[in-house]
Amino acid sequence: MMVRKQVLVLLLFLLFIIEGTIIPWLLPVSWQNVIMPNLVFIVLLFVSVYHHRHTALVLGIIFGMLHDVVFYGEMIGTYSLVMGFSTYIMGFIFRAPRAPMPLMMTVVILGSLLFDSMLFAIYRVFSLTQVSYDWNLLHHILPDLVVHFVFGLIIYVPLRKQLEKIARREKKEKAA
Amino acid sequence: MLKLFKLLGNKRLFVILIALVMFIALMGFTLGPRATLSWPEKFLRDTVGFAQNIFYKPAGYVAGLFKDIGNMRETYKENEKLKVALAQYTREKANYNFMEEENKSLKESLHFTKAQMEKFDYSYHIAQVISVNSDTVNRSLVIDLGERDGVKVGQSVISIKGLVGVISHVSNFTSTVKLITTMDAKDPNSNGIAATSMNNHQTFGIIESYDDATQMLLMTQIKQTDPIKKDDMIVSLGDTDKYPRGLIIGKVKSVQESKFGKTKTATIEPEAEFQDWKQLFVVFTPEVQQ
Repeated sequence: MMVRKQVLVLLLFLLFIIEGTIIPWLLPVSWQNVIMPNLVFIVLLFVSVYHHRHTALVLGIIFGMLHDVVFYGEMIGTYSLVMGFSTYIMGFIFRAPRAPMPLMMTVVILGSLLFDSMLFAIYRVFSLTQVSYDWNLLHHILPDLVVHFVFGLIIYVPLRKQLEKIARREKKEKAA
Repeated sequence: MLKLFKLLGNKRLFVILIALVMFIALMGFTLGPRATLSWPEKFLRDTVGFAQNIFYKPAGYVAGLFKDIGNMRETYKENEKLKVALAQYTREKANYNFMEEENKSLKESLHFTKAQMEKFDYSYHIAQVISVNSDTVNRSLVIDLGERDGVKVGQSVISIKGLVGVISHVSNFTSTVKLITTMDAKDPNSNGIAATSMNNHQTFGIIESYDDATQMLLMTQIKQTDPIKKDDMIVSLGDTDKYPRGLIIGKVKSVQESKFGKTKTATIEPEAEFQDWKQLFVVFTPEVQQ
């Protein structure tokens, strides 16, 4: 049954669409220019820890590229690089397919920090932004972190169940 | 040296390094101005744009409904104000018609060429926002007008209130709008806006950067003798081809000496609200024959 996996990818795409269309309406007005929720990335962190980091790497590069091309403002490749790299690193450090909830939430927090910091670093290197890291941390990265954390909590139970089902199937197929 | 080679013999590290170099090359390549997009990019943008179109509008309606209920009480006051504004508008319209006619006949008697006469005949095409990129540095919108509708890179995009941004990339059915909040004097791609005051055309300055911390635009290179003052409405001057004439940008919040003392700098509060995106207008300037 490979269908479950494909459905997961399709849901990721749906999430990507929702991120650009519905989420801006859900946010309070004063937050709209402050946070940049990247929900696809959080799901990929789950994939990276509970499934396999290579899958997450490939998905991260693909969905990052999608984001880059669709919202092509300055350059292509930032999101692709950052999403692929940070999901891979997180999966590499926390190689625990049975990670309990607190550990997974730590991964979400660290991953979110890494993601936003790397993104800021790239923009800074190409001098697309002039604000200092401290300011950015306080005004964008930390509020972002809160949203990511809450989203991580919401999807934790259903997503983990699905990912474990996929893992179990794969194990069975390998045994057979 | 041998050790280094051994380290590079590690295949994974090698792949990571190559990938990193490729990504940086890709970013560097796409950073500069590009004439057109390649077809895979266009295809991807249009396909995703189609899907986003389905979601954005209904979400906007639902969100707008709640907001409308919240605003119900203010409707009466707003209506009163609008009536006054409309009365004034009709009075001025009569005056305006006389002036325009006079202007036209003067132009004709001065033998203006056709291109000169039509220079300021802008047309405004309504566009629906179909998705929003919330990235705080690289802020952009996707709108549902594209190459097929004649949109070109560099056209200005306005909301009802004022200038919002510039078209940065165009595919067949959608295009990306780069907001003026991404303007930066050091950015190789962004152009400064030559600007003046709405009521006093003696004022001249260039808006070329946006301060993220205070959420204000900065207008620089204003002369010491300039009559600019607080609460002046700043509009684009339209001397260059980049921005059409008379687009509303914002209100002067404060005027201070620049760092070097020779000129003045004004902070400008943008008139457009950079949130709750619905309809925008793309400003089409008349074709200039080369």
